[in-house]
Amino acid sequence: MSGPRPITLLIAALGGEGGGVLTSWIVRAAETCDFPVQSTSIPGVAQRTGATTYYIEILPVKTGELGGKRPVLALVPGIGDIDIAVASELLEAGRTVANGFVTPERTFAIASTSRFYAMDEKIAMGDGRFDAQKLRQVITQNSKDALLIDMETLAKKPDALINAVMLGAIAGSGRLPIPVEAFEAAIRADGKAVESNLRGFHAGLDAARAKTDGVVEQDAKKPARNTAEALEAEIERTIPAAAKPIAIEGVRRLAKYQSIAYAGLYLERLAPFIGGDARLLTEIARHLAVRMSYEDVIRVAATKIAPERLARIAREELKSDGEPFTVHDFLKPGIEEMCQILPPFIARPILLYSAKKGWLGRVYFGMEINSTSISGYLRFLMLAKLRGLRPYGHRYKEEQQQIEAWLGLVAKAARLSPQIALEVAECARLIKGYGDTHARGRANDATIVQRVIFPVLAGDIGLAQAADAIASARTAALVDPEGESLAKCLAALDAGSTRVAAE
Amino acid sequence: MERSFKTEVQSLSLGAGETFHGEGILAVTKALLQSGVSYVGGYQGAPVSHLLDVMVEAEPQMRALGVHVETCTNEASAAAMLGASINYPLRGAVTWKSIVGTNVAADALSNLASPGVIGGAMIIVGEDYGEGASVIQERTYAYAMKSSMWLLDPRPDLPAIVRTVEKGFELSESSHTPVMLELRIRACHATGQFEAKDNRKPVFSGINPLTEPAKFNYSRLSHPPVTYVQERLKVEQRLPAARAFIREHKLNETIAGDVTDIGIVVMGGLTNSVLRALERLGLADVFGASRVPLLVLNVVYPLVPEELREFCAGKRAVLIVEEGYPDYIEQAVNVELRRADIQTRVYGKGLLPQAGEYASDVLLNGIAGFLKETRPNGLDADVVAAKALAIVAQKTKAAATLGPLPPRPPSFCTGCPERPVFSAIKLMQREIGPTHISADIGCHSFATFAPFSMGNSILGYGMSLASAAAVGPNLAKRPISVMGDGGFWHNGVITGVASNLFNKGDGVLIVMQNGYTSATGQQFMPSTPVNREGPSGMSIEQTLRAMGVKWLRTVRTYSVATMVKTLKEAMKTAERGLKVIIADGECQLARQRRVRAQDAEKLARGERVTRARYGVDDEICTGDHSCIRLSGCPSLTVKPSPDPLRTDPVATVIESCVGCGLCGEVAHAAVLCPSFYRAEIVRNATWWDRFKFRLRGAVIGALGGYNPRKPVVKAAT
Repeated sequence: MSGPRPITLLIAALGGEGGGVLTSWIVRAAETCDFPVQSTSIPGVAQRTGATTYYIEILPVKTGELGGKRPVLALVPGIGDIDIAVASELLEAGRTVANGFVTPERTFAIASTSRFYAMDEKIAMGDGRFDAQKLRQVITQNSKDALLIDMETLAKKPDALINAVMLGAIAGSGRLPIPVEAFEAAIRADGKAVESNLRGFHAGLDAARAKTDGVVEQDAKKPARNTAEALEAEIERTIPAAAKPIAIEGVRRLAKYQSIAYAGLYLERLAPFIGGDARLLTEIARHLAVRMSYEDVIRVAATKIAPERLARIAREELKSDGEPFTVHDFLKPGIEEMCQILPPFIARPILLYSAKKGWLGRVYFGMEINSTSISGYLRFLMLAKLRGLRPYGHRYKEEQQQIEAWLGLVAKAARLSPQIALEVAECARLIKGYGDTHARGRANDATIVQRVIFPVLAGDIGLAQAADAIASARTAALVDPEGESLAKCLAALDAGSTRVAAE
Repeated sequence: MERSFKTEVQSLSLGAGETFHGEGILAVTKALLQSGVSYVGGYQGAPVSHLLDVMVEAEPQMRALGVHVETCTNEASAAAMLGASINYPLRGAVTWKSIVGTNVAADALSNLASPGVIGGAMIIVGEDYGEGASVIQERTYAYAMKSSMWLLDPRPDLPAIVRTVEKGFELSESSHTPVMLELRIRACHATGQFEAKDNRKPVFSGINPLTEPAKFNYSRLSHPPVTYVQERLKVEQRLPAARAFIREHKLNETIAGDVTDIGIVVMGGLTNSVLRALERLGLADVFGASRVPLLVLNVVYPLVPEELREFCAGKRAVLIVEEGYPDYIEQAVNVELRRADIQTRVYGKGLLPQAGEYASDVLLNGIAGFLKETRPNGLDADVVAAKALAIVAQKTKAAATLGPLPPRPPSFCTGCPERPVFSAIKLMQREIGPTHISADIGCHSFATFAPFSMGNSILGYGMSLASAAAVGPNLAKRPISVMGDGGFWHNGVITGVASNLFNKGDGVLIVMQNGYTSATGQQFMPSTPVNREGPSGMSIEQTLRAMGVKWLRTVRTYSVATMVKTLKEAMKTAERGLKVIIADGECQLARQRRVRAQDAEKLARGERVTRARYGVDDEICTGDHSCIRLSGCPSLTVKPSPDPLRTDPVATVIESCVGCGLCGEVAHAAVLCPSFYRAEIVRNATWWDRFKFRLRGAVIGALGGYNPRKPVVKAAT
């Protein structure tokens, strides 16, 4: 049987993004054109940032021309039956593809390239983000035509909600027999935030017509300032091109963190690896700079009172136009943090005594400091000024020993293969955070050194499996904070299998 | 309420000759008014939360007609309302979410169905089955059968729904039986239009009350010995009367087709899906004409034997499209055909899945299978089946290229007052070890998702404490039961608290006092501070004290450290007996709606307003995400590290932050990193604010720090 077919539109959004309002705009616009239209949604999961969808069918034949016949429109989107799939977020666009709604035969996919990370992506201890490049690729490959634009950024400038931008993109796609004016009229008829919605609508419309997102991709990285010209000249001379930018960044960071001499130490530590594998050198340069600029109270204090920081908060977060504001920082140093800057001969007895008393990990000094007040500023300033004394502190000594030990392992592993050395170097990723998190990272690192890296260096684990074993253990350590995955992984390793549960 | 229907309810006043445009739930409400109901009521729950919201917001229109509106405290109380129709010629309708609401209402329903009704009684059940469902997957059908109530499942098309409501009241009255009208979630929210009729003023109502109460009539009671008589009446009189009415008024529909040797029997609610599947296979058009004949059951219980016989006669085979398990309709059709000795083969479950929703791919596969199996005259079954296969294959291919995607279940809103309680439980568990968590229905059940992943059982709304009754005595550590204030009043106060106290039980109960039944859209409930009639005066704390709870603490939810301390105390104290912690914090969605409006007014009046938001210093954050694992706030997320030397993403607070303070509390209570800060701006500042700000800037600037009045000079890179 043949006859007209409805145009089907699937909207994938997150609760709270105004998908319901967007749907009602489209329905109203279709109604003003006298097209039969039906929309459905599943509220209930629409709240609270869960993924949800809205579904619209429009019969592109005016009611007056149907001779009294009424179409039977579907309430549920059909797989392979969607003409326009719109998503406010890239992962959700991917979900419409995975669910079979987007097909190369008929679907025009409109997706925002912006990401609103899902909980599982956020709670990973390392990087749990889904591969955005893959999402873009799959959406483009599986659709008849695709429009990928950063709707979040497009919405920001006109201070609109993303739903208005989505409407603009739909209108601009030219896939609906509804004129732009009908959509505008629908927004006006709504009577709410009309001006900002119209601005958002036009931002989406223009982007869709131009088929570009109109947004210049900005480099998110903030490189440090040039402070150590002599050292940079040395890098220029000695370090291979691939590792150069990282080494320069490292030198700049460490000069600011401590001194030019400390940055010099960094280059000295890198020197033995020059001439070896370039990728290994790059990764060592990266991790070494991070490890040498370990987070202590001095660094935190200096960061907190940096004028750029307060200017950024005022400008970007508070949108202050000269209005008074305050910034309150939350700190809760424990005995260990206090001891970091004391000389080892004082720090050690205090730490021993505290450990005996069971104070470590239990006694903390909680404080909320108003960094914009004079007293708050002075407190941080005093701490920041202790920079010169840092090398005499307990933590400094401890960190340098651990860095040397780590570099030693990497150097030994490099004799086996650059691949294994790279995996050993990467273990530096485990050490991060503060307090409990930091302690746990160190413990995990120590466990992996003992149970995997030492056996590798001793030849107890075959060369063929070595890199894989270290990588698996490291990945497992970053799966859960309770260490269950790491334990499982190590047990599997002991059982002779290096393919591990963590993958 | 979460959503306002102020403008939409205007359409409830439309009269004959006008066209109604709007959502399914509004159409149902309009149909109730067109049917002359005297009373309506119900208990919220998706999919019909909005139906109750509409009834409440339409109170002015309702009052003008004399219709009484009751927001019941649970479904049992709503079902019992229908008791008014047993003795009086009053039409009434109540609504709730099924299956769970029907379970709660079951006692009253049995006792209503037994004596039967004089006035039409209708239950509008929101069928929470399949896509987006938040409850156990069971069918309402069983209730209809066991209590002898008729179950209507109209085609999801507004005129059809409206007609079914109107005819449903007549059916109820002509067969003296309560009827249930089942609406799936998408039908509740489907938009469309229909020709309105004038609203009917009920004959008897608040405006024109009955003068005399009903005379004592033992046969109208559900009490022995008349219950034995009533059981017989149900099958001997009411059932035949209903069948006759359904047949006479053509409540079920047939769609004729040219492929006459087969047919499809479909539940009304699935008609559009089946027609669309047929259309995609080239066997139907968009106007509902089909080559395969269809019997559309707008009444799924009772079935009308004559209709089934007529439809099946002369057909080699029929396919029953019946969603959910057990296959009641398929069994009934088989029995009927056997009785009539009709040899039509019945297909259903088997070609279609036994369980689960009948989504588009399921129906395509099922219908293709049916055609291949029966090979009807006049069409090439293989060609049609190949079409279906190709469509379904595309989905498999696409899913395989992407691999598993991170799920995105609903979660606690930004600034939710309940989230900090679970942060506190997590911190407490770090010290005293894992504890049994008896979970409940409500927003707090989102704690079963990451990052909390808490909860050992969910037994129903308000049931958490009761479901820990036998856990506590058999477990070394006290179980913790979590209950919302909605669940507390729904039934937790009796089934949980009273039972625990009566049995001198032990254990810990956390009552989330956020002031609304928030999960269903912030409806009012007994302890809502200010509801539509003004404050009710009911208080959870006073109720618990009056019941005899000795160990009772009220803790502000955002005070994580205090909450951790209180929880530890409740877990460790030697004192026996129920220990209740009232976790107090207003639903943030409701609060924001109020506060934002107030702040906007203040700003406009030139009054001082402060706004706070939280932030993370990306230079200090090392990207381990402990804070996210402890908070789970939608506004606390990750972004690429701006540090060229780091690859793992860092935490960040996005613009939607409402400044609830949990970030700071968790950073403190859990001893996280020092990267969190609270930034606060003063709008319409006083001269003192400005003076202080300038003075600070001048002094700090002179010391080399940030002076807001001097631009920050960026050194050349």
